[in-house]
Amino acid sequence: MKRFKVAMAAVASAALLLAGCGGDPEGPSADFDPNAPVTLDLAFWGNDTRAGFYKNAIAKFNEKYPNITVNSTFLPFPEFWEKRQIEAAGRDLPDVMQFDYAYLRQYSQNKLLLDLKPYFGKQLKTDGFTESTLGIGVVNGVTTALPIGTNAWAMFTNTALVGKSGEAAYAGGTSWDEYTAWMGSVAKGGGGKVWGGTDPTGRIQNFEITLRADGKGLFDDAGAPQFTKEDLAAFWNRGAQLRATGATIPTKRLLEVAPKSGFGAGLTASELTWDNFGAGYAGDLGVDASGLALTAPPVTKAGAKDLYLKPSMLHAIAANTDHPEASALLVDFLVNSQEAGAVFGTNRGLPASATHLAGVKLDPLSQKILDYEKSINDRLGQAPPVPVVGYGSIEEKFRQLGEELGLGTVTVEQAVDQFFSEMDTILKK
Amino acid sequence: MAGYGFLAPWLVGFFGLTVGPMAVSLYLAFTRYDIFTPPEWAGFANFTRMFTDDPIFLRSAKVTLEYVLIGTPVKLAAALAVALLLNSITRGSGFFRSAFYTPSLIGASVSVAIVWRAMFAGDGPVDTSLKSLGLDLGGWVGDVDLAIPMMIILVVWQFGAPMVIFLAGLKQVPTELYEAAEVDGAGPVHRFWKVTVPMLSPVIFFNLLLETIHAFQVFGSAFIISNGSGAPGGQLNFITLYMYKRGFADMQMGYAAAIAWIVLVAVAIIAAIMFRSARSWVYYAGDQR
Repeated sequence: MKRFKVAMAAVASAALLLAGCGGDPEGPSADFDPNAPVTLDLAFWGNDTRAGFYKNAIAKFNEKYPNITVNSTFLPFPEFWEKRQIEAAGRDLPDVMQFDYAYLRQYSQNKLLLDLKPYFGKQLKTDGFTESTLGIGVVNGVTTALPIGTNAWAMFTNTALVGKSGEAAYAGGTSWDEYTAWMGSVAKGGGGKVWGGTDPTGRIQNFEITLRADGKGLFDDAGAPQFTKEDLAAFWNRGAQLRATGATIPTKRLLEVAPKSGFGAGLTASELTWDNFGAGYAGDLGVDASGLALTAPPVTKAGAKDLYLKPSMLHAIAANTDHPEASALLVDFLVNSQEAGAVFGTNRGLPASATHLAGVKLDPLSQKILDYEKSINDRLGQAPPVPVVGYGSIEEKFRQLGEELGLGTVTVEQAVDQFFSEMDTILKK
Repeated sequence: MAGYGFLAPWLVGFFGLTVGPMAVSLYLAFTRYDIFTPPEWAGFANFTRMFTDDPIFLRSAKVTLEYVLIGTPVKLAAALAVALLLNSITRGSGFFRSAFYTPSLIGASVSVAIVWRAMFAGDGPVDTSLKSLGLDLGGWVGDVDLAIPMMIILVVWQFGAPMVIFLAGLKQVPTELYEAAEVDGAGPVHRFWKVTVPMLSPVIFFNLLLETIHAFQVFGSAFIISNGSGAPGGQLNFITLYMYKRGFADMQMGYAAAIAWIVLVAVAIIAAIMFRSARSWVYYAGDQR
């Protein structure tokens, strides 16, 4: 009897152990059966507006592939990446992801993303892409992502708020001083409820365009920083002077309306950001395209090639997916199909794929973006190299320090030291 | 033999899920590890960085201590005060007990944190009511000076759990002690300090220890109220949140593990000090004093 008990206990504990070890990925199935029911996880960053677009696009996708169930989740940008990092650690990434250029190198080098080449011409069509746009998603010779669209740095203005302040519309492409003066008079008309814009201090892209005006950039091809502490201190000191004028929204107010931006919350009349943010802003503000104007950012140095086109976002498939073929079909639909183009418009940037673009009904907002990207042609220079590993963290540190500068909890000198110390740590690993 | 057999499931869990991960985390604390590539031995680099080259860590430790050292005593004082009140009433005490206990059940939830954020924002309910009283503080959520008080109010509001324990303790105090004190001419204040507090001291000690350790673990509410960033100006960047961000946002797992061990040691030291000091102020019935 005693032996029996021992045996039972051993069996029970072994069963528990095995149960704990279950769930090992079985590896992708060799043959794809389009009739077998499959469930895919899709993750993207964005707001409610974009989530609505994805919902519609997935419904259209399901008309073609009723057996593929797509579970989608979305988060704001910083949280999206925190979640992905955790999943990456456990090799448990969602099957299909909206992907950012800043993280592409890191995830590709660590073999977290599926090589898409084997699916080209089958589930994934590439005819809509030019060689250079297709090259965007290639890291070390392996295609791990397909670009959804391209975008450029731009200035949005809220025409209603500008009108109310009695100030004329912002002309775009002025000097920084003229922009500051313009923001100041909008803020004056706003009477403490509305401000001219957001302090550019926290966005690394604003720093980048001032560096590019001098023919430099953030990082060189080898991944070494191309700016000095003095460059950064000068940029942040200009921000401090700007804040002192009262033309920009106080950081305290920004924190209260987060995750919306000051512009999205209807508190500022202008904001420097990527040109595909229009639909999100329109959704946040509850206005149509006529409420938004899109113009060029201020010029640091006349004639400089300070702006550039970059992939706004890409689609990638996790290497750990159990359903690579079905995932490839979904990616193909999201980056290539006219149906998806009709749903998304330019919400995810100006479509990179010609077939996708053909589906885009150029609504007034998309037309504005198209016109904008044409208008800045003489300011467009060469795009910077694929971002260094950890660029996403560097960008986030820059944002946080910008916030602290706005609150006055650090001095410019301390912030510069902190930024360089953080950057060194990140680049060292 | 059979005993070990039956113990096996627990042993597996204990070693596999507690001791094992802790040992790994101790090892990682001495490495540079970004999850994607194998850990690299770094010696004490993580620990020296923490104390010599990381102002964010030092500030994070400071705000955490502020939160623990102010929040915990205030919470316990509120719990004791309400427990005394409830102990003295006979009608409806069951209702009030439940009513006061409820916040401690839901207080740590995501929804309450979201409500808190909305309540303390500029032009939110708190701001408008204070304004109507002539106190114009603006929003608390983005205010460097008011963010920690806002969090302390949130934690004090959850005084229900220690209150119930205090209440149970108060019921144990023999009534003859109060009667004897009254006969000797002791007023209510005297009775409180000379009878209630000494008789209750083991319960006070228990609550103090538990709530202090608990306060160090604050995470969810700070994460949600600050949108995951620890804003404003790092005031809500409590040590747990900071550790999480270093690990999962910056992918500095080795450094995050080192922070975890420092926090463990710090909490252990504080607990040891409490146990030490307890000898001089905690009275167990039957002790010779």
